[in-house]
Amino acid sequence: METVLQTIANGILVGALYGLVALGLGLLMGVMKFLNIAHGTFIILGGYVSFWLFNLWGIDPFLSIPVVVIVMFLIGLVLYKLAFSPLLRLPTIGMRIDTSMLVTFGLIWVLDNAMTMLWTPDTRTIITTYTGETLKVFGTRFSITGLGGLGVAVLVALALYFILSRTYFGKHIRAATQDAEAASLCGINVNRVYSFSSGIAIALAGVAGVVIVSTYSINASGGLSWLLIAFVVMILAGEGNINAIIPAGVVFGLLEAGSVLVVGVPYRQAIALLVFIVVLIFKPQGLFAKKD
Amino acid sequence: MLEISHIDVYYGDLQALWDVSLTIGDGEIVTLVGSNGAGKSTLMKTISGLLKVRAGYIDFDNIRLDRLPAHRIVELGISMVPEGRRLFPQMSVLENLEMGASINPARQKRHNTLTWIYDLFPILKERAKQMAGTLSGGEQQMLAIGRALMSQPKILLIDEMSLGLSPLLVQEFCRVIQGINKSRKLTVFLVEQDVQLALSMAHRGYVIENGRIVDQGDAKLLLSNPRIKEAYLGLEQENKTD
Amino acid sequence: MSLTGKKLLIIGLLVIVLFVPPLVIEMGTATMNLLVLLFIFIILSQSWNLIGGYTGQINLGLAAFFGCGLLVTHFVWKAEIPIYFAVIAGGLAAVVLAVIIGLPTLRLKGAYFAIGTFALAEVCRIVVGNMFARMVKMPGSYAIDYSIIPRYYLGLIVAIITVALVYCVTHSKMGLALVAIRDDEQAAQVTGVNTFKYKVYALLTSSFLAGLAGGVYAFLRLSFHNITAVFSPIWTFEPLMAVVIGGAGTLIGPIIGSVFLVVLSEIFALTLGEAHLIIFGLLFILVVMYSPYGIIGSVGRIRQMMSRVGRGTLKARQKL
Repeated sequence: METVLQTIANGILVGALYGLVALGLGLLMGVMKFLNIAHGTFIILGGYVSFWLFNLWGIDPFLSIPVVVIVMFLIGLVLYKLAFSPLLRLPTIGMRIDTSMLVTFGLIWVLDNAMTMLWTPDTRTIITTYTGETLKVFGTRFSITGLGGLGVAVLVALALYFILSRTYFGKHIRAATQDAEAASLCGINVNRVYSFSSGIAIALAGVAGVVIVSTYSINASGGLSWLLIAFVVMILAGEGNINAIIPAGVVFGLLEAGSVLVVGVPYRQAIALLVFIVVLIFKPQGLFAKKD
Repeated sequence: MLEISHIDVYYGDLQALWDVSLTIGDGEIVTLVGSNGAGKSTLMKTISGLLKVRAGYIDFDNIRLDRLPAHRIVELGISMVPEGRRLFPQMSVLENLEMGASINPARQKRHNTLTWIYDLFPILKERAKQMAGTLSGGEQQMLAIGRALMSQPKILLIDEMSLGLSPLLVQEFCRVIQGINKSRKLTVFLVEQDVQLALSMAHRGYVIENGRIVDQGDAKLLLSNPRIKEAYLGLEQENKTD
Repeated sequence: MSLTGKKLLIIGLLVIVLFVPPLVIEMGTATMNLLVLLFIFIILSQSWNLIGGYTGQINLGLAAFFGCGLLVTHFVWKAEIPIYFAVIAGGLAAVVLAVIIGLPTLRLKGAYFAIGTFALAEVCRIVVGNMFARMVKMPGSYAIDYSIIPRYYLGLIVAIITVALVYCVTHSKMGLALVAIRDDEQAAQVTGVNTFKYKVYALLTSSFLAGLAGGVYAFLRLSFHNITAVFSPIWTFEPLMAVVIGGAGTLIGPIIGSVFLVVLSEIFALTLGEAHLIIFGLLFILVVMYSPYGIIGSVGRIRQMMSRVGRGTLKARQKL
């Protein structure tokens, strides 16, 4: 019984992080129909920013989040200006998705190797005074950094929900997502909406990176494995379904944690991925798709 | 005053409008009629900034429109009710109206404007929290017109208002639009397949065929023009002896 | 000489240039190694091009077929079966894998296809990593008589077979069907093209070729320190890059791209280190954004421009 509770606890903690990891990817895909394959790379980049803030100036990773957000947001704006906006002129959505995949694929090469050159391929992690500490509740152990990650994920998701549903700018994003031409006919500067959405998406990746570098570790080429998780959770949540991403992440986290009980640690991700692939084939709209 | 001067418009490599010229004076209701595919919607999209001209220019109160992006044209006071309504389906009626007031001056006044819209179309107030995608055709058209009016435009462009609506409803819309035109001096430019409807509502009209303007003039005169009657109203010429 | 006569002459010359030198000149192990790698890349990029360039679907899971072919070839060869048969076995094994995991992905489109194939390749990588000890070795007896020359010829022959096979496919009804699918799958279906059938053929052919490439690599390297490395996404990504830069959807494009990548890698790796990969990445992005048909496309466009200039001057001359 204890193992089951522990498994559930682990699943929720890691699942919340998985959801956080997927938010930026899902936002970009939902708003602009862009598939950012370099998303994992930006996660790592965010982790590095936090890492250096910690190692050079002793800033606690969770406190470094605002700085990371600003830096990554600006990077997102630049990315939009240079690499994304030219793609908006493509005639079909299919071409937009394919070309954005290829362009961001090239970005992986550029950024992964730039990071390797600048900061070496060594694995980095942040060790604070509370790293490795755990909290015991009803016999199940929760790592402090894991709880921190859960908190960040929930806060970020709530903030995003609030922005999208209550603020004017968030509504502009939703309008542009549902019908970009109609939005511009309402006087909405869709270009600016897209630009800021790119900024937010990259900032979200950065925040995930902060949590990852303090809970686990990062290295310059580690982006792809986090990309895969982002892919999976995004699809499980359903396209454009931003609010379902954290729950979908938790589902996947529980699935992965649960399969440890069945097949043991080495195969757990394989099982989870296989389940994902089954879902992808039979219900590509995701587990949380709204009924039309 | 809106002046369209000798414009050519292309869809990719295909030319859709040839040497089109039009003027729309303040406070007028002007209509452009023609059959399907003649270029009416193309012209509307060009005025509102969704398409670019390859020759000629569009001028509004001495400001060149044809170089501007769509959202800037809304800021200048031209608002369009697009063909097919193009509402935001997963946003509520109220949110759709709010989006209509996205430009700054309109946003300040939106509460007043909203009251006015609810007066014009009371059913929108009833359905304020409902998702736009769940409304009936007529209600959607009301919402589309309301949304376009939220930006407090000087010129209202209407693209194919009558499509898919019952004649009764369409008459009601005509009444409302003529009312606003009189009370608020709102200039209206509408594009319509229903020639009878359009010409009876408007002050002046233009006729477009295959991307070219072929006729223009006072709306009532156009209505009684034999050529127009035969081509668009399906009425036999009176003096035909066969 | 007729056009086909000329073509045959060029091919004949090429064959001589490719086959003869290693027998008469001492080219050095490093160069030969590089050439075998080049052949492997040519095979892999032709393989990716079938699905990516001709059918228009971005496949991110090629590495699974490469690795599968490699593993099977390794073990079949270890069981004392001659290498050429072992390589074919590797190719066939990859086809079997494609039938098991690849067919279901054919239902997916665009982004979903890319993500699905990526996830499947990862599953393979994890499973292999757990099923086998990290190191996969050949008995010492295989290493004693190691000579690079048979590797060269194996690579060369498989590369030639690959190019010939792709040529036949693309110049057949299947080739037309694939391009039709790329341009507009729905339209193709409506006009009676059995899109599913052709997508299956493309998948099977592509996986076969990727498996062969894996077999060649198994022959080249003998032992592997970390077997999961051959299932790494890099074996999908580098052919992808070669295809796009060289020119997707053409026969020569992948070859040019592979030569470009392998040769430039060698030249620049010494002088620039990791920076050369960054330059490739930037070049790739520029190609995708401004010259989607790669080097081939640029050549084509320059030819077009020049013919237009030619026609222009002709017209001007006619007026005089």
